[in-house]
Amino acid sequence: MVLAAIQSRIRSSAAYKQVSDGVRYTRQDVSRIVPEIPGLPYAYISPFFILFGVFLLFPTAYTLYLSFFDYVGVSNEVLLTVTMGPMEVSLPRIANLEFVGLSHYERLIFRDSLFHRSLLNTTFIFVVQVPLMVILGLATALVLDAKFIRAKGLFRTLIALPVATGLVAYSTIFLLLFNGEVGLINYVLESVGLTAIPWLGDGFWARITLVIAVTWRWLGYNMIILLAGLQTVPQQLYEAAEIDGASRWEKFRFVTLPQIRPVLLFVVVSSTIGTFQIFAEPYVITGGGPSNATITVVQYIYNQAFLQLNLGYASAVSVLLVVIVSIMSIIQIQYGGGDS
Amino acid sequence: MATIDITNLRKEFGDGNERIVAVEDFDLTIQDGEFLVFVGPSGCGKTTTLRCIAGLEDVTEGTIEFDGEDVTDRRARDRDVAMVFQNYALYPHMTVRKNIGFPLRLSTKKSTDEIDDEVEAIASMLGIETLLDQKPRELSGGQQQRVALGRAIIRDPQLFLMDEPLSNLDAKLRSTMRTELQELQTELGVTTAYVTHDQTEAMAMGDRIAVMNDGELQQVGTASEVYRAPENEFVAGFIGSPSINLLTADVDGATLRGPGGFAYEMEDPSLVEGHDRIRVGVRPEDLELDPDGGMPSEVTVVEEMGNENFLYAVMGDIDITARIESVIHPEAGKTVTFGFDEEDLYLFDAETTEAVKTKTGETDVDYDQYVQPSH
Repeated sequence: MVLAAIQSRIRSSAAYKQVSDGVRYTRQDVSRIVPEIPGLPYAYISPFFILFGVFLLFPTAYTLYLSFFDYVGVSNEVLLTVTMGPMEVSLPRIANLEFVGLSHYERLIFRDSLFHRSLLNTTFIFVVQVPLMVILGLATALVLDAKFIRAKGLFRTLIALPVATGLVAYSTIFLLLFNGEVGLINYVLESVGLTAIPWLGDGFWARITLVIAVTWRWLGYNMIILLAGLQTVPQQLYEAAEIDGASRWEKFRFVTLPQIRPVLLFVVVSSTIGTFQIFAEPYVITGGGPSNATITVVQYIYNQAFLQLNLGYASAVSVLLVVIVSIMSIIQIQYGGGDS
Repeated sequence: MATIDITNLRKEFGDGNERIVAVEDFDLTIQDGEFLVFVGPSGCGKTTTLRCIAGLEDVTEGTIEFDGEDVTDRRARDRDVAMVFQNYALYPHMTVRKNIGFPLRLSTKKSTDEIDDEVEAIASMLGIETLLDQKPRELSGGQQQRVALGRAIIRDPQLFLMDEPLSNLDAKLRSTMRTELQELQTELGVTTAYVTHDQTEAMAMGDRIAVMNDGELQQVGTASEVYRAPENEFVAGFIGSPSINLLTADVDGATLRGPGGFAYEMEDPSLVEGHDRIRVGVRPEDLELDPDGGMPSEVTVVEEMGNENFLYAVMGDIDITARIESVIHPEAGKTVTFGFDEEDLYLFDAETTEAVKTKTGETDVDYDQYVQPSH
């Protein structure tokens, strides 16, 4: 009230009129001097579109394009030469390509057993990993949101800390921990009288090792997001439910779950996408072995593209992976999105 | 339906050295079927008391009994109470039908059809039967209020608790809902504890009013009791709108002398015997313009209400408010003189603020002469 009164008094004062008129005239003067450049606003927002185009749109489109070709090495043909005095810079064509139509896809879907293997491995990790990480993440978030827990900040930090560690660094440490002969895990198991587990030597256990590693690394991420979701649920809804006669489970079932549904959906979808993109862990910890028991789709793409230089074929796998992940996500959103 | 006994209730928040006492020395009995209103300024502990009765807060000391049964350590869900919250606390993801039916779904073994029938009966009683399939966010404040009421009623609880349920509504709707709530409570006959900071609402609705301040119960009584016979200066100041005029006067035999030339000769000097100073209170509605009165006051503002005028004036350093007839419009700056009857005079001890004298006029006028003879 007082503020508004002061403001209106200032606005009606002669000095204010003079200054504001001054500003208005100066602005008009400036726009009279500077010629009107058509499309100037677009120039201001262009950096985003340029970067987006160069680093996202082009690679995506080019991957799709490449998937219909066979890559036959770097081209000798020169696309462009720039002469700058003594220096001459020439830009070669990116690649020699041979059009193969849909044959990459045909081979992928019907004949490539190693791809099928990698897809199966990835699906195994997905089926075990996503429910485990979402449920564990939610359980941790619920515990750390509870009133009776002390030193919540400390626990939250500790659980969230692995998210900040480097992928290769932590994978290497897991490689050492789960080593069959000299690893700490087997040492502990044996010292309490249990039998050692062939963590990396057996296909099943190698996948379990990956699941444990990924869970350790990403649990904190899910927990933080779910915790944030939990904290947006109004306390009064729990009080209303308590008065209405709800038990702890009923409060969770009828208040918490519906309230954090969008957050939960986000966590499920992002975990799904993350799981299908898993690469560093199998690459470092298991190397895809033993006998391809843990090779993942992205690892297969990497092998095809950069070890065997089948860029066209690798692109086709990438495109197929995008299709698979998109379908999964759409199903999840359809099923879990509700009406909001 | 239940009688609620609260004995020696104390509630502290925080721990260690930073303890805040929200409620202390609180003793109260809410009679079976009674509509009791807790009223007091913000932070006086009224909501905390209500939440202790609900079981949403643990009590630090004292006991709460429902019909003689100690429920102090019982969880809210086991107390059979229903509560309406200030912002309704409807479940946003449920339709109105599900919101109202939720308590039954949890606490009874009734089938979905039976629950649906009850929900529809209650919805039509509250006039919201057309809204049953909408979500709370699609409803207006008044409609949400009714849904919250429906959710409370459907349980047929021992006790209704209402925490400022009308404060989010606009003035017109508030007075409509006020009447509806009272009718509903009379019809259902359920013991009700109601919290408000609005003394008009408290006076209008409560069978009895519990006035609180600083975590302590000041007085419990009917609207007429807290208005006419406040136990202390706080209650006198809080109840009544506009507020009572209060000033400190020196006692000189039978004469009271105050700021700005205030002088009043007591008809019954025994009331002020033994006091050197005393707090004097006169309600705005008891002041009248009187050239022989002892309250010379300089008019500052006259507010015209249509049916009456509120006259604001200063007497010395004391602000005076008076309700006068709408035909009298004193100009600002003029000095007028007010007088009052001794039966309307309030006196409070200057040290303890306890009441020394309150209104003594007639309270029960025979109304037979106004009653139409029945055929």
